Amino acid sequence: MSYAFTLNGQPIEVEADVAGMTSLLSVLRESFGLTGTKLGCGEGRCGACTVLVDGTPVVACLYPLANVDSSDVRTVEGLAGPDEPLTEVQSALLDHGAVQCGACVPGVSMTLTALLECADHVTEDDVRAALTGNICRCTGYTKFVEAAVSVAADSGGRQ
Amino acid sequence: MTAVGRNVRRADGEGKVRGSVRYGMDYTELGALTGKVLRSSLPAARIARLDTSTAATMPGVRAIATATDAPGLSGMFFVLKDQSLFARDEVRYAGEALAAVAADTEAQAEAALAAIEVVLDPLDPVLDPDHALTDGARLIHPDWESYETIVPGPRSGNLAWESRIERGDVDAAFQEAYRVVEDEFRTQRQHQNSIEPHAAVARYEEGRYTVHTPTQFPFNVRGRTAELLGVRPSDVRVVVPAIGGGFGGKLDIMLEPFACVLARKSGRPVRIVNTRSEELRTCAPREGGIVRLRTAVARDGSILAQEGEIIADNGANSSGETVACANAASLVLGSTYRVPNARYVSKVVYTNTPPTAAFRGVNGPYSVFAQEMHLDHIARELGMDRRDIRLHNLIGSGDVMVNGQEVDGPFLREAMDELETMRPWQQLQASKRPYRGHAIVPVTWLTNSGAGSASMKLNEDGTVTVASAATEIGSGAVATGVRQLVADQLGVDFHDVLVTPPDTDTGGYDLGAQGSRTTFGAGNAMIDAGKKVREQILDVAANLLEAAPEDLELADGSVHVQGVPDRRVGLAAISATASMTSGPIIASGGFVAPPESFDGGCMTGALLTHFTAATYHAHHAEVEVDPDTGRVTVLRYTVVQDVGRAINPQMIEGQIQGGVVQGLGYALYENLRVHGGEVVDDNLESYRLPIAADTPPIDISILENPCPYGPLGAKGAAEPPIVPVAAVIGCAVADAIGAPVNELPVTPFAVLQALRKQGESAA
Ligand code: FES
Ligand code: FES
Repeated sequence: MSYAFTLNGQPIEVEADVAGMTSLLSVLRESFGLTGTKLGCGEGRCGACTVLVDGTPVVACLYPLANVDSSDVRTVEGLAGPDEPLTEVQSALLDHGAVQCGACVPGVSMTLTALLECADHVTEDDVRAALTGNICRCTGYTKFVEAAVSVAADSGGRQ
Repeated sequence: MTAVGRNVRRADGEGKVRGSVRYGMDYTELGALTGKVLRSSLPAARIARLDTSTAATMPGVRAIATATDAPGLSGMFFVLKDQSLFARDEVRYAGEALAAVAADTEAQAEAALAAIEVVLDPLDPVLDPDHALTDGARLIHPDWESYETIVPGPRSGNLAWESRIERGDVDAAFQEAYRVVEDEFRTQRQHQNSIEPHAAVARYEEGRYTVHTPTQFPFNVRGRTAELLGVRPSDVRVVVPAIGGGFGGKLDIMLEPFACVLARKSGRPVRIVNTRSEELRTCAPREGGIVRLRTAVARDGSILAQEGEIIADNGANSSGETVACANAASLVLGSTYRVPNARYVSKVVYTNTPPTAAFRGVNGPYSVFAQEMHLDHIARELGMDRRDIRLHNLIGSGDVMVNGQEVDGPFLREAMDELETMRPWQQLQASKRPYRGHAIVPVTWLTNSGAGSASMKLNEDGTVTVASAATEIGSGAVATGVRQLVADQLGVDFHDVLVTPPDTDTGGYDLGAQGSRTTFGAGNAMIDAGKKVREQILDVAANLLEAAPEDLELADGSVHVQGVPDRRVGLAAISATASMTSGPIIASGGFVAPPESFDGGCMTGALLTHFTAATYHAHHAEVEVDPDTGRVTVLRYTVVQDVGRAINPQMIEGQIQGGVVQGLGYALYENLRVHGGEVVDDNLESYRLPIAADTPPIDISILENPCPYGPLGAKGAAEPPIVPVAAVIGCAVADAIGAPVNELPVTPFAVLQALRKQGESAA
């Protein structure tokens, strides 16, 4: 079986030997060398592997490759191209000192990006609720919330 | 612009938000095989048979290693050498390694593990530390007497180590007591659960091992790997990629020696990465503890004497820091309040359970939990206010800690006063509502005193490179703190200070990221190197500018004559000149904390004897308990923390927020349960970590009481915020429900039980 989808804006096609049950995460990391997306638990609990499929956050470690057929997949590497400036979310995370070890940060960045792209009004509680699936062992989450709320406020007083 | 005191963006931040930073878990080498470790399913057994011959012939299998390949015995910090890499003859915990395999693919490695024939004859596991210490208990290490130790230590049978502090005349004080109060507390194992699991990639070349591993403490991994494999430390090179969290869990070897042995035997690089389940089952957590306290008090609330017994579950061997840190529990019990007469015994006990190790704060969180719940008990007995009894006994200028060390200022009192301005106690007492509670806890903590070193050079372009083995575990100590110090010292931009990735071949010795020591210890070592680099720069500049070195200043990447900013020469030009005259500019430096004076005579078996660069803290929490479900909600949390000097306030805040939340997890739900010797919570569904919705608002006030030997006065800041959290939460819940909680975690079930018990006794 082969599956066609866009990955960070580029059309691609992947051959999968197993019946499409290969995890999206292993394809991203092993076939495409996109190691920004992390394998924190492999059991759908930590969110370090969060990517966006058609704009919705999913845990790539459990997400079957078959499900991304003809979808649009975005990973942390696709937020800002290597030579491009950081996105507002990425920049706010750094300005707020929200990054520590950073192992959760690719997943957190994807979740916050999805939240801020579709919500026109974001409260602290919205951010906390959105981050339910993203475990961070370092930061205590406060600075993620501050960073996300500041982005929402900057982009036209949505807060 | 100076860098110190500013919230500069961390040097590794862009890579981390772009996903381009390569962590230990992302690292691999061309042709790397996959390594897997076969582990015992039983907690205690004789190994009757271990046959790898079939496995060795399976497709893709390139090497199998067993006990004969790793002859050495070792132990964390080389304190008590009771650990072999693979179980020999006897298995001492479920999860102990029996063999390791390297194969072309993961599936092949797993198939080979399954094909290793293992016959285990079960032994009766010794699981309870109290039971382990009884006379008839089976010895977990029958050969315990033969083990090497770093210093002679009190130990016998299942008592792996004992440390004692005895001060004053305890028995006499108890006789004069107005009241004697006694309690027992029990606490659970807490797992570090860094998001990045342990990972190691090793290769063997020219008779040496090179291993890439996200360790907090490269020199420990080097020494411990060498000892287990029976080679010299210099035969092992440890290189550290980015680290995805540690919290103490990555101080010690885990997978490195396995990867090394397999690399040697297969002639190929070998990569091993733990699954989350392997992390939880085999990577050493904070130990479970039992604390028994007995205190003599006077009518006015003065502590006259205290006896304490701390029992720490070492697990099956001393591969973690539990032994090395035994005495910290006693020191913590006797360094926040005046305890003029004290007898503390800290016992580290073998059990047939996975070994335990350091997790941020080591035994501090449960010792403080015990002391504070106990103080509330005393206050109840005396009808005293909970804050008053703390202030009454609070240690201050001129007092001595239980080890005889003098307290360096009234800083605990200042922390309590600052907290009072933020959360006025009487006001909160007066506005108390049913099932709401609050509590306040002061605590003294330490900075790790360990050695660090650095070498520093001025580059051709005027930037500065520091070679160091100090590791960045996420706190920002290397990514911001030490760079800020060096930037200001040499008058260069923060971004022009580069720090090499840790590598034991090129970096000098460093005691690793532990006990908040990196900005303090590694920072001091860099400043020492920087002084010499600065002198060399000034010498060259003095010639070029025809001025005396004393009249020169460094700023904005150049040297100028004081008061004459136009008479200047850039660092790039100085570098070029130096390389043609006095030689390239480079220097090295080192640091170890100066000794403190204390009374060594009152302690036996103490490996941690005193507090270096002590820090002072006060925490407060308000909680609400749902009497129907037992659920505890933390409404507001407040931290006052003395950091000596805030090099990067934003990073310190981050450490406080993160430490508090880890403490909340420990206080309320994290619990690595071990039943029948087996870890029950081997996934993140049953091991509950704090999520964003769990975190309360945290108010923070940072105090600066500079340490005379800290870099610009800085002391450790990252470790302590977790230390008093369980105590504050425990005391606040007890206040809310009007009944003590003497065990952690304070689960809804525990709360309901306490409420029911209280209801019954009231009826
Ligand atoms: S790695 Fe996918 S949720 Fe943890
Ligand atoms: S920053 Fe380390 S896990 Fe989130």
